[in-house]
Amino acid sequence: MNKSKNSKRIEFFGMFDYTLLFIVLFLLCFGLVMLYSVSSYEANLKFQDSAYYLKKQLFATIFGVVVLFLTTILNYHFWDKAALFAYFVSLGLILLVLTPLGYEANGARRWLNVGISLQPAEVAKVGMIIFFASVVSKFGKRIQSLKSTLFTIGLAVPVALSVLFITENLSSAIIIFGIVFMMIFVATPNYKEYILIGVVLLGIAAVFVLLVSKGILPETLSYRFGRINAWLNPEKYASTTGFQTLQSLYAIGSGDIFGKGLGQSMQKLGFIPEAQNDMIFSIICEELGLFGATAIILMFIIMIWRFLVIANNASDQFGALLVVGVMAHISIQVILNIAVVTNTIPNTGITLPFISYGGSSIVFLLSEIGLVLSVSRGIRLENR
Amino acid sequence: MNKQEELRFTKKMQKKLAVLFVLILVAFISLSVRLYAINRDNGEKYKKQVLSQQEYDSITLVAKRGDILDSNGSKLAVSQKVYNVIIDAKTLNGNDQEYLEPTLQALYSTNMTFLFSQNELRDFIRQNPSSQYRVIAKKQSYEAASPLMDILNNTAEYQSIKGVWLEDTYQRQYPYNSLACDVIGFVQGDNEGIYGLEEFYNNELNGTNGREYGYLNDDENLERTIKPAQDGHTLVTSLDANIQSIVEKHILAFNEQYRNAYRDGSGSTNTGVIVMNPKNGEVLAMASYPVFDLNDPRNTTGLKIEMPEMPEMTVAGEDVEQTTGNEEESANENAETEENTDQVQTLSPDALNPGAVGEAYEDAFEEAKMDALNALWKNFCINSTYEPGSTMKPFTMACGLEEGLLTGNENYRCEGVLNVGDHEIHCSNRLGHGDLTFSGALEKSCNVAFMKIGATIGRKTFMKYNKIFNFGLKTNIDLAGESRTDTLVFDEATMNPTDLAIGSFGQGFNTTMIQLVTGFCSLINGGYYYQPHLVTKILNAEGATVKAVEPRILKQTISAETSEKIRQLCVNVVAEGTGKSARPAGYMIGGKTGTAEKLPRGTENYLVSFIGFAPADDPQIVIYTVIDEPNAKEQASAKFATVLTRDILTEVLPYLNVFQTEELSEEEAAELAEKQLLFSNGSTLEEKETVEEETGEDAENENSEDQNAEQEEEVFERKIQYDPETGYAIDPTTGDLLDPETGRPIDSTVSDLPDTPVSPITFVDDE
Repeated sequence: MNKSKNSKRIEFFGMFDYTLLFIVLFLLCFGLVMLYSVSSYEANLKFQDSAYYLKKQLFATIFGVVVLFLTTILNYHFWDKAALFAYFVSLGLILLVLTPLGYEANGARRWLNVGISLQPAEVAKVGMIIFFASVVSKFGKRIQSLKSTLFTIGLAVPVALSVLFITENLSSAIIIFGIVFMMIFVATPNYKEYILIGVVLLGIAAVFVLLVSKGILPETLSYRFGRINAWLNPEKYASTTGFQTLQSLYAIGSGDIFGKGLGQSMQKLGFIPEAQNDMIFSIICEELGLFGATAIILMFIIMIWRFLVIANNASDQFGALLVVGVMAHISIQVILNIAVVTNTIPNTGITLPFISYGGSSIVFLLSEIGLVLSVSRGIRLENR
Repeated sequence: MNKQEELRFTKKMQKKLAVLFVLILVAFISLSVRLYAINRDNGEKYKKQVLSQQEYDSITLVAKRGDILDSNGSKLAVSQKVYNVIIDAKTLNGNDQEYLEPTLQALYSTNMTFLFSQNELRDFIRQNPSSQYRVIAKKQSYEAASPLMDILNNTAEYQSIKGVWLEDTYQRQYPYNSLACDVIGFVQGDNEGIYGLEEFYNNELNGTNGREYGYLNDDENLERTIKPAQDGHTLVTSLDANIQSIVEKHILAFNEQYRNAYRDGSGSTNTGVIVMNPKNGEVLAMASYPVFDLNDPRNTTGLKIEMPEMPEMTVAGEDVEQTTGNEEESANENAETEENTDQVQTLSPDALNPGAVGEAYEDAFEEAKMDALNALWKNFCINSTYEPGSTMKPFTMACGLEEGLLTGNENYRCEGVLNVGDHEIHCSNRLGHGDLTFSGALEKSCNVAFMKIGATIGRKTFMKYNKIFNFGLKTNIDLAGESRTDTLVFDEATMNPTDLAIGSFGQGFNTTMIQLVTGFCSLINGGYYYQPHLVTKILNAEGATVKAVEPRILKQTISAETSEKIRQLCVNVVAEGTGKSARPAGYMIGGKTGTAEKLPRGTENYLVSFIGFAPADDPQIVIYTVIDEPNAKEQASAKFATVLTRDILTEVLPYLNVFQTEELSEEEAAELAEKQLLFSNGSTLEEKETVEEETGEDAENENSEDQNAEQEEEVFERKIQYDPETGYAIDPTTGDLLDPETGRPIDSTVSDLPDTPVSPITFVDDE
């Protein structure tokens, strides 16, 4: 045992969280199996290669695991020093989308071509977690003043807005803002203000939805308004904006308790387009039933519980806040994704972590897990 | 230590994190509940929805209709694979219409003919977002559709082209257009053959359509399966496209030559020619006039539509009058008067409404158009019934010879008229033929002699042989639309001596062309009555023979000896008698002319014909030419038929490699050379001149008696007188007044040619 007073020294595998690693690896493997099941039909149709998506995802996953290993063994305090750098890299990469390096796919300019294709919004999520963990831990108790709280939140605004307007990615902007919001919520002792903010936000959203549904804000103003109408009444828009949602509901509803069996989905056969992306959870429901879906949700709950444990035992505030950020990120994404496929909220493109298809997403999620595992390695027994 | 405390994750923070965790947990649990609720509330409904979305819909795989070939393998009817272009508006509207423009661009860059313009199609797609099946181009050829096929087969390269596909179908095509149109028939709607071979062999020609369909297997998995289409059988016929086209060329030439010669219209009401092989009953050519294009059977251009005049009294609007004006000539006005009165009555309630009258007119016009088309499509050679006239005489003789009632050594005296029963029946030559030998009776086509022969044979034997020769029965030739004549022949029980007398020279009962020619074949081929047929072989889609139709002898009608005698008698007719002008230069043929007066008697309408065989010693073909109402003032001349027959034989016999047996006179040689030139040029105008020359030449060579004989029944009933009081025609033989409508004598106790069970020439629908 290393009894050094140097709190920044980490024993190599001190309190390494094998449970978390196991869950992540399980989800990765499960995700690959589901991805193949969901995407093979469409891949065969489009590329004459049923494993087209699987191969790409497998490559990204292997690369991600390497990144996970590297971030795990790297002392996470390194990121504390690189916090400001992370902030500007995030912002810079988003701005790069405007240059010829950026390219458009599926109707949105969200990607960078830097040898490999990269989604700057994914980088920004990690960047924000690191940056705010650092900023909030540096503020210490001063964060409790309303002024500093507002200032901190204000730091997130440029990134969130550029994600929203430059890459036209509302969901990523919401996630980034949500992560910052949750981190600050944990760091400050107040409740009233947050409840108030929550109620106000809900109220604004409700008024907005009401205005759109009554047609006072015409649908032609933004395609997002159409999605709101489709959310309220998917059957009415069955052939247009509500199609994907409705097909997703059909998939969930037809799954029953144990599902149709792995690979037996009918909805993936062209009815849910690109089901391997945002709608993969509905196919999981169809093939594995409520049982399978609940099992996956349970895995995520355990994962988030592990984050809780690691954060609570982290050797310093920065580490703890890193874990809180990652926890916020993953839980927001899982909740929003499942909420979309069950038509609980309007349709917006959010992927299911570790399972949905997407190279940038998987690599940066695994790097976040690496951060958490790195923090878990720094936990010292005597401090418990 | 303090500093370190500050850096640590505080208890408050841990507490808040716990709160956050609980909130997240609550969210997860509510979503799980939501999942459960979806399954509980809508599970059954969504399950059905998912199943119902699957594509069980079956696609019909169209079978190819079999071809029709002639005896040399030329394709008379084929089915060409063509393509319909279908669009799926639902797919094109999907993904924010991402595929719409590229697909439209690709479609309209091909040189297919579309039913819509590009803008119309774009509007259609926008307005019908749920439409998944819309034909936008019909029956495109392979050449036109192949660029699109390449695009559709290369999905990797053309990813943005979606929602369009090709549907296979077949189009019936007739490479020779109007050739043998009445025999082949055509196809309408969903591969349904009408008329001719197409109708008769519809089941053989039509294959069985295949299907591609989806179904759920035991594990509720969708599977698709294909039942391939079975293509139809191909018919090989005995028709020879070359002979057929020779025949049709001359029929057309004849009808053009006499167009508007005496009355307005073509050279005859109808002209039919059958060329048959007497040794097996195979039909080599069968043609009639007018013809129609099998590729466009509904084209009414040049078709005379018999349109009833609309009652002007009830017509309120002027426009209706205008449309009526250009339709119909006054020729049919009288005949239609009765119909018009009916229409006045039925229309009167609507008289105030000019629109209704216009509508009624439209309907009447459509009906008249369909009647005209149906008449056009019908096959004259098997569908029309008529009194055969003198072409019956060889049958009467054969009957007497076969029964031993005649020896062939008889002599007859013709004084121009014979009393049978209460009737005085005149011969074609009112002055009488004088003394005639047995052969002479046929050569001169003497009616008096044949009435005597009829009397010798007797009613029973005559009728027995009519049955043997199948008069009154269908021949069951393999064509759709053969007429029944069972009610149009004599009934032995009610037959009187007058019936027998006129029956012996072919009046008083009806036959069809195919009946007469089939019976005639047996007269000259040794007595074998072959089933007439067109199809000799049926092949399956792979070309293997499914069925070979062997010549089928139905019966022996007369003995070989009698047949030999009849053949010699018919040769004499051409060599010495009325058939001289039928003989093609260089050949000897046998045959018999016919000039039958049509009902109603006294209207000067005749059906002239010639039936013959060539060559004389070993008949290889039998040809029967019938011209219904030749367009001439004097219709009653068999020469119309004999000259047409000769023109046909002059070309057909060399084609069949029949050697010339007769020496050519210089004139004949020159004429033949000229004709061959003409035939190859196909000029009808020059031909007309030649034929006219011909007629003159012939007349010079023959004495006046021959001339009379040639025009046989022409004198008979030619000079019609009218009763000054009533205006009715007077029957020249009996002096009775004739009813202008029916042509029957008003005092019907006596008549020269009683209108026994016969009706005027009509198209009779059998079945």
